[in-house]
Amino acid sequence: MSETKPAPKTVADGNTVHGVVAEFSDVDSLLAACERVRDAGYTKADAFTPFPVHGIDKALGIKPTVLPWIALTAGAIGTCTALTMQIWMNGIDYQYIISGKPYISLPAFIPVSFELTILFASFGTFFGMWALNGLPRFSNPMFTSPRFDRATDDTFFLYLDAKDKRFNEEGAKALLGDLGGAYIEPVVEDDSPKKIPSFLLIAIAVVIAFSMIPALVVARMRVTKSSSPRFHIFPDMDFSPAKDAQQISTLFADGRAMRPDVPGTVSRGGLDWDVDFQTGIDMEKLAQVDAPRARQLVAMMQSDTEVVEADGEVAGEEEAVKEVVEETTEEVQADEPSTDEPSADEPASEEPAAEEPEAEMTEEAEAPAEEEPAAEETESTEETPAEEEPAAEEPAEEEMTAEETPAEEPAAEGPSEEEPVAEAKTEEPEAEASKPEAPTALAPASGPTVDTTPWLTDNPLAIDAAVLQRGQQQFNIYCSVCHGMNGRGNGLVNQRAQRILATTWTPPSNLHDATLYQDVYPDGKLFGTISNGVRKMPGYAAQIRAKDRWAIVSYVRALQASQNASLEEVPASQREAIEKKQSEVKAELEKAAAEEAAKAQKTAT
Amino acid sequence: MSHHQAVAPKPADDPAFTMPALLSGMSLPLCIGGLIALVGGAFLGTTSLGGKFGMSAYLTAYMYAFTIALGSLFFVLIQHLARAGWSVVVRRVAELMMVMLLPLALMFLPIAFSVWNGSLYSWTDPGYQAEHGVPAAVWAEKIRWLNPQWFTFRALLYFGIWCATAWWYYSKSQRQDETGEVTLTESMQARSGPAVILFSFCTAFAAFDWVMSLAPMWFSTMFGVYIFTGSILSAHCAIALLSFVLQKQGAIRDEVTIEHYHDLGKLIFGFICFWGYIAFSQYMLIWYANIPEETHWFAGRYPGFSDTFGPIAIALMVLHWGLPFLGIMSRHVRRRPWAVAAWSLYILVMHFVDLYWAIMPEANLGAGGVVGVISSLLCVIGMVALMLGLVIVVGSGTRLIPVRDPRLGESLAFENI
Repeated sequence: MSETKPAPKTVADGNTVHGVVAEFSDVDSLLAACERVRDAGYTKADAFTPFPVHGIDKALGIKPTVLPWIALTAGAIGTCTALTMQIWMNGIDYQYIISGKPYISLPAFIPVSFELTILFASFGTFFGMWALNGLPRFSNPMFTSPRFDRATDDTFFLYLDAKDKRFNEEGAKALLGDLGGAYIEPVVEDDSPKKIPSFLLIAIAVVIAFSMIPALVVARMRVTKSSSPRFHIFPDMDFSPAKDAQQISTLFADGRAMRPDVPGTVSRGGLDWDVDFQTGIDMEKLAQVDAPRARQLVAMMQSDTEVVEADGEVAGEEEAVKEVVEETTEEVQADEPSTDEPSADEPASEEPAAEEPEAEMTEEAEAPAEEEPAAEETESTEETPAEEEPAAEEPAEEEMTAEETPAEEPAAEGPSEEEPVAEAKTEEPEAEASKPEAPTALAPASGPTVDTTPWLTDNPLAIDAAVLQRGQQQFNIYCSVCHGMNGRGNGLVNQRAQRILATTWTPPSNLHDATLYQDVYPDGKLFGTISNGVRKMPGYAAQIRAKDRWAIVSYVRALQASQNASLEEVPASQREAIEKKQSEVKAELEKAAAEEAAKAQKTAT
Repeated sequence: MSHHQAVAPKPADDPAFTMPALLSGMSLPLCIGGLIALVGGAFLGTTSLGGKFGMSAYLTAYMYAFTIALGSLFFVLIQHLARAGWSVVVRRVAELMMVMLLPLALMFLPIAFSVWNGSLYSWTDPGYQAEHGVPAAVWAEKIRWLNPQWFTFRALLYFGIWCATAWWYYSKSQRQDETGEVTLTESMQARSGPAVILFSFCTAFAAFDWVMSLAPMWFSTMFGVYIFTGSILSAHCAIALLSFVLQKQGAIRDEVTIEHYHDLGKLIFGFICFWGYIAFSQYMLIWYANIPEETHWFAGRYPGFSDTFGPIAIALMVLHWGLPFLGIMSRHVRRRPWAVAAWSLYILVMHFVDLYWAIMPEANLGAGGVVGVISSLLCVIGMVALMLGLVIVVGSGTRLIPVRDPRLGESLAFENI
């Protein structure tokens, strides 16, 4: 090797001297030299060895690295980032309940925090090491020495940097010579051209240009419109089969597309055992007045649960349900076992819809006049059978129309007396099954005589502006088409029906009728009517939530008050204006009357 | 790697390799005192709080000593499996604790007996099924695994495997002290792989049998690993602590160096995180799924559910993981033998708390008041003293490092970068 040694470069070449390097043949002499250099006060020295040498950092006086602190800091930042990110995302910005846990649920955040801690600590360590070592660096003046290649093979180098305060070239050379270093030579700056080769520049430019293409495509797509179908990168989610409720599905064993509720569970927001709120009836009082009906109402509201219990799948569970239904369910099951299954299978609200038209049909088809005598007979005896005779399909109707059109009463009774003869042959079992329950949940069971149902007299909602607005909104959507926006019973449907002289049309009630005021028609009853319907009006329980039905009730009361309010009910702030207007009108009228009187007097004279 | 400070091993009969006189003298008092404390503790618990509490306290103490011995066996196996050079000087300490599995097999007798007289495990109670409303089919399956005959057989099997492994490795290592045969090291290495596999199965199933089955209807596939993490962590701590004590008493002073403590410290640090990782993983999966059949085990150990064990759960999180995690993180700590020894002692205490938290709630008596705490502590102190006495007895009859191990020189010269 020594023969091929090139002439050492000198300062005379005009290149900057970066330091001085010397060769050592073994580890021990290198370590001894390192210690001497350290003791001589050099701080910017470095050793190059083919393999890691224990203790060389100590021999060179290299201070412990700050890298662990960087790693620790980066790791802590990772933890904080992960926690902040998750708490912000899931707990604050986009609250979303996952698996029934709280929005900010620390245990669920730990795995991500753990991973980010490690990721950040690793990056911190890796790039911190780069930064501390001045990397990335594509060249080092050391590489200009052809002998330096052997640092990866079998030779040890000690290097004194020119940046050290104690450095002077001659002194450094002398020191290394004293320490037994061979081939002591200055390290000079690489005199190869510093310019980046043009082919490399072109290659980089091309790569950058091509890398812009996806971004440009995306940017263009965002500002242009296209009528062609969307491009589906992941089609699976875009084309998942969407089924409607009653459709057939091959995916599930029972062949139904709609998934029934899991037995023994309550859907979110579905836990509502407040039967009063759901029916508008004071159940405690009803239980005193008419215990069987109260039981049936409660049982029907919880019919889902009954199915489960009847199937015997969930035993011992549902303690809460049992408590509520405690006295009711068991007795109902014991007394009338036949009512159990149908009531469970068929939603209560469907019953009137199915029964009512038929009733109306017969009502129209058969001359009501003919039956009048029969009806009157029944009317007298009605009081007792009305309660137990479940065939009172349209009891509410009778009650409502009693004053207006007494002729309808017998028609309503019609189906109960005549229909069974016709129907019994064809659908006897269903008729039997549905009959006992139809009146229970649906129609307020009142004969034409007295409504004994203990309706709730007050709206259970706390009435405020928001409730009224909600009620108005729902009223305008569902009610106004018939009852009119002002509630006078002249909605668009009614207008149309009058125009085409629809024969089957029963005009909707004028909500401002005195018979519908709260003192004679309590809130609970109004709620019941909205829920279950009356005469032509269908029940809206399936469409409007109970809370919104109560809101409608409150709005109807407001509507009624708007047409029938005394001055005392007007807020004080507006009262003055009204009084002012009133006095103006009064004055105007008086003036007009006086003028009229004067005129009359004039003409008289 | 360092060439300039190669250390020649001392001759095999150097006094530095014998048990220090002070410790030798303590062996008999330790054994007798330990036995008295252990029996006294179990007796106190049994008489004042019932057989189940007394046995639970005994089981906690037993599992404490047992996990350390088991972890030491794993340490020895894994060193051979990895052909580790650094650990030779501390391997004999681990071997001494490893052979404690033999006396511990005898100490298991009360637990095995309790299965037959029904004083500890609730699955031995014939009324358990009816009392807890367990479906008959499910219970039948449980009983097929958890019955006294099969339980006893399995325990015999586990101990057979562990004791055979421990004794074989110990005797080979002893023989190498005399002969210096390299082939012994080779055969120990060759058998370490299968031994680790057998060890893992036995450990997992023993954890299921002895600890998890205290709550018979509860299951966690992670539980075996959970017990193992505590085992391997406490074994490393015990090795570091015992080496430190031996050095303080004048033995193996030149052999075990800062470098070995540094490495033990690194492993302890790692296994602290491993423990935290496993303990949290087991908890989080159960917490997330929130299924009653799984959560009921944590319900008895949860803040807000149990006044005794709830705070311990929090304490474990902070003191078994958080504090030592930060404490042993720094290289400066790990390169100070006294600091490593102090942290080891601390973690050994926490390991007891961990086992206490895992086992005692099933006795359904909380901590059992002052008497219960005294009983539990007497048991574990007695068990530790007894085992320490036996370690000294065994160690007095042998050398404190494997003096003729072919890698001893490498271990002596070991240096961290």
